[in-house]
Amino acid sequence: MAPLLQAISIGKTYPGGVVANDGVNLSVSAGEVHAVVGENGAGKSTLMKILFGIERPDAGTLLLDGKPVSFTNPREAIEAGIGMVFQHFSLVPSFSVYENVVLGAEPRNGIGFDREKAIAEVRALSEKFRLHVDPLPAVGSLPVGQQQRVEILKALYRDARILILDEPTAVLAPQEVEELFVAVRALVAQGRTVIFIAHKLPEVLEISDRITVMRAGKTVGEVGSSEVTEQSLATMMVGRDVALRVDRAVTAGELACEIKALWVRSDAGQPLVQDLNLHVHAGEIVGLVGVEGNGQAALLDAISGAQPIAQGVAYLNGTSLGPLSTLERRAIGVANIPEDRIAQGLAGGASVAENLVATKLADRRYVRLGLLDLKAIKSNAIALIERYSVRVGGPAQAVSTLSGGNMQKIVVARELSEQPKLLLVSQPTRGVDLGATQFIWKSLTDARDAGAAVLLSSADLSELLALSDRLVVFYRGRLVAAFLNSAALTPETLGSYMLGLATQTEDEMKVALR
Amino acid sequence: MSTMPTLAKQSRWTAVRAEVQRAVTAILVALLVTVIVVMLTSKTPFEALNTLLTAPASKPRTIGLWFDDVAKLTVTGLAFSLVFQARQFAMGVQGQVYVGALAATYVALSPLGPTFAAIPLGILAAMLAGAVWGFLPGIAKARLGANEIVSSLMLNYIAIELCNFLVRVQLREKPGVLTSLEFPDTAVFPPMIPGTRIDLGLVLALGATLLVWFALYRTAWGLKLRLVGHNARFAEYAGIKSTLIMVSAMTAAGALGGMLGAMFVQGQTYGKLTVMFEGGLAFEGILVAIVARSRPLAVPVVAIFYGYLRQGAQLMNIRTDVPAEVIGVVTAIIILLVSSSFSIPGKAWLLGLFRRPAPQTDAAVDGAAK
Amino acid sequence: MIELLATVISSAFFVTVIRTTTPLLLATLGGLIADLSGALNVALEGQMLVGCLTAVIVSVYAPWYVAVLAGLGSGAVLGLVMAFFALRLKADIILVGFAINIMAAGGTVFALAMATGGDKGTSINLVSKAIPPVDLSFLGVIPGIGPVLVSLLSGHSVLSWVAAFLVFAIWYFLYRMPWGLWLRGVGEYPAAPAAAGIPVNAVRAWSLVVSGGLAGLGGAQLAMFNYVGFARDMTAGRGFIALGAVLLGARHPVGALLAALLFGAFEGLAVVMPGLFADAPAELIRMIPFIVTILALVLFSYRAQRARQMRTLSKS
Repeated sequence: MAPLLQAISIGKTYPGGVVANDGVNLSVSAGEVHAVVGENGAGKSTLMKILFGIERPDAGTLLLDGKPVSFTNPREAIEAGIGMVFQHFSLVPSFSVYENVVLGAEPRNGIGFDREKAIAEVRALSEKFRLHVDPLPAVGSLPVGQQQRVEILKALYRDARILILDEPTAVLAPQEVEELFVAVRALVAQGRTVIFIAHKLPEVLEISDRITVMRAGKTVGEVGSSEVTEQSLATMMVGRDVALRVDRAVTAGELACEIKALWVRSDAGQPLVQDLNLHVHAGEIVGLVGVEGNGQAALLDAISGAQPIAQGVAYLNGTSLGPLSTLERRAIGVANIPEDRIAQGLAGGASVAENLVATKLADRRYVRLGLLDLKAIKSNAIALIERYSVRVGGPAQAVSTLSGGNMQKIVVARELSEQPKLLLVSQPTRGVDLGATQFIWKSLTDARDAGAAVLLSSADLSELLALSDRLVVFYRGRLVAAFLNSAALTPETLGSYMLGLATQTEDEMKVALR
Repeated sequence: MSTMPTLAKQSRWTAVRAEVQRAVTAILVALLVTVIVVMLTSKTPFEALNTLLTAPASKPRTIGLWFDDVAKLTVTGLAFSLVFQARQFAMGVQGQVYVGALAATYVALSPLGPTFAAIPLGILAAMLAGAVWGFLPGIAKARLGANEIVSSLMLNYIAIELCNFLVRVQLREKPGVLTSLEFPDTAVFPPMIPGTRIDLGLVLALGATLLVWFALYRTAWGLKLRLVGHNARFAEYAGIKSTLIMVSAMTAAGALGGMLGAMFVQGQTYGKLTVMFEGGLAFEGILVAIVARSRPLAVPVVAIFYGYLRQGAQLMNIRTDVPAEVIGVVTAIIILLVSSSFSIPGKAWLLGLFRRPAPQTDAAVDGAAK
Repeated sequence: MIELLATVISSAFFVTVIRTTTPLLLATLGGLIADLSGALNVALEGQMLVGCLTAVIVSVYAPWYVAVLAGLGSGAVLGLVMAFFALRLKADIILVGFAINIMAAGGTVFALAMATGGDKGTSINLVSKAIPPVDLSFLGVIPGIGPVLVSLLSGHSVLSWVAAFLVFAIWYFLYRMPWGLWLRGVGEYPAAPAAAGIPVNAVRAWSLVVSGGLAGLGGAQLAMFNYVGFARDMTAGRGFIALGAVLLGARHPVGALLAALLFGAFEGLAVVMPGLFADAPAELIRMIPFIVTILALVLFSYRAQRARQMRTLSKS
């Protein structure tokens, strides 16, 4: 049987010479779940954007039902029956579920928008495909898992025969992943085809029928899910045996950071962190586990000073952090590697040297009497560029001209240039390739071994399990579980606490809350 | 590695060249449009164009007029550059000019007027008044999130009406005349070159240029301001109080606007306060700042070119049948062309548009770049 | 003081307020459309001013309704220019808006001088037409309330009725038609409509064109009813006040109507007060709408801050 969708020798080079796809082949049959796997940066996203008409290939052909097609924009792809669910949802927060689903293809009565019909159609769709969601509330008020269903409904409403899911599990807790898989199976059972982008191998093996493996912009091969193991798949992805291992801390040191009965509230007064007690010792990494938005980010913000502490105290080596400004906290040894480096960690238009000194504008080495010491700022930049081998023309170059990996290096270089006492880290390797991941992990463990207390938040459970010495689980702003890390600890165990299905007793937690 | 810094330097020169090229292109296009408009509307088009393009440099007196404009355009350009670098869109220079002029007038007509203190005190009072006028929209935005564009524009109109009122009721020379009493000689900037209008204002403008450059590129405040302008979220993360910087930038720009007010009324041109004396010049600072890419050292250079055009238009107005207001069309075209090709705020806006999906592109580009 | 009160509650004052409100309301509705599509239209002032002059000049040679349409069209063209530079050439929309304001301030005087043969102040030597008032005196036959209805409703500009209808029409468009959904989606989170295949830039461009058209229509009302004829800078900041009114009206058409009425009432006061008090400082009275705008803006921003807090609180 001829494949439903075929991509032949697709090539794509971005302006600036980055080769994202180079001779990529993909062949998807009707009614299957076809996974596309590869590391971050292997070119999966680019390929999907080409399939969906967001990017245009420089070379190669697309065949749909055996006929060549070329999409100049998403609208054409949608009309051809292709739907895509992005990792970052495309939903208007203040619109209701049904408005989001029908947006761009609204049922009409005369010149008006037939809202009754829209609601009914959304209800019917959600019944048919077992994607349960109430059509009426505003999307912004729904949890992430439900928002994802709205995204899938959007594609189905437009009669997508082929549904592309881009890393759909990245934002979900393990139990929500199961629900998603139920829906995916229902879709396939009703004759739809699903392309599933992922890099978490157990999930891929569980849900897909066939797998296309990509590496460095090329397709490495296509295999049936039943023919491969996790290990062999990983080897195909990386091209060599994977050994992402981290050495554990030898011994934890003195108590460094003590958090007592801490409350954090949003600007609106809503509690984000409730009554939190936590000790972090010098030389250990404490992993903050939880579905996004359960208080991990708020805790890091409260300690870095981005958000005020509403109640309770946080001490660093005996100094209360609450009354201190962000700058004063940095002065006593708090460092912070933020979640989104471009939006928060860097000023793109400013030079490398200015970015490297931006957090040290109260430091007498660089600023005296309000005047900048340009010489010291420049030599600081040259030294850090050298030490972290950042590929850059010089200290005066604008940061926005650097590649993503080098941007992240600038952030790490700035934050770790002086040994921190307390290091706050959020999503350190999101969207970073394997080489840079290794570099960043090494930097973190080096800082730990030099005596930093580290609080690490990540959406990637495997990263947390790889790096943390202890883990604490957040649910709705509270700690519901704490673990000493061990080989026996599994994502599934963490998952049931992340979703609030289970809660440890005080005594159980105490063991790991030393 | 050793060649890389030179490469960086080269690329910087290419960038500067590209910007100059684009500015020149914009000016040429604007001139072309002017030529067409003049050709179509004037009975004596060649005389008009000749006046526009050659008259300002023809006589010492006109050169004086030209450089008087250059000084004023420089200061308003600097004021806009300061707020633009902090990525604020305060449009209040016009209002600051009027309140500054009022303050300087009160000093000049006070018992201090006939003393040597009249000039420095007049400038100082004007700067203070302007600073207050710049501070108000700043604090309203910082504290309440009130849109600074709207509030600063409203303050412009309030300042103009205030000036009109005080001139008519209190400061007028005699009933029915819409100018104040003449200032005593001690309160008027002495001419630098006798017989022209080039006065202390030009020195103030150059001093302000150096001061703004120094403040932006050599002080911690300036670095903070630029970082806030590049990325306010990053500035907050780095421990910079971005609202404080924002308010201080708008206040400092206000002081410059106020000083411009003093330069108007205490300068050789007026030596007194009249209603509507500013003639729309304050807003032309937007053009100067944009063409100069908000770089203080480039501001006077742009002001020299633009001032020439502006003076040419005035002379064309006097000597031929083409109204000076044609320059408004020229100004608009230059702003449109220069800001459209590579406006940095425009780019940021575009990035904002695709904010959410962007990380995916990053991931792809990051990895592939390796 | 009593005279002032008597004036304010008279039907003549009501008619004045409707007259002063109409241009402002049209511009505010224009600002609203652009704002909701995510494009701040700071050029309302310039578009209004060009609308004034175009309407006046065209009315010399053509019937009044052609002149009104010309005013509308000139504003729409400027909206298109904005869209071209801001959306196609990626210029910052605020800078583009101010470029248009500068062009309008100079260009109208230039064009006025051309049209009048040298007068750069007013169009006094042009014989321009006015928009006819809508005569509803037949309502007087209704017993009892008839005369009151006539004094309140008769004699308004055609465009006042159009503006009132537009408040409803724009509300219906925004909240009951698919395109309104598109427009609001584009303004709130453009990635979503883009992913749904909606041409985001086209939606924005149309919004800017309509926005400019409404401002131009406001200009026509100003120069063909509130005043008959053009004077340099005759919009006197109304376009900027409209920007404030959009925010004050909580970005909703009915809110826009109320905000425009508020400003219109103060402008109406400024119109009637000099007649009542011989020594009234005209400049200070003219200042009132601007001060009210600032106060309203500050108050609204404060309230909006509080409202955001209350909303998130109640959600939790």
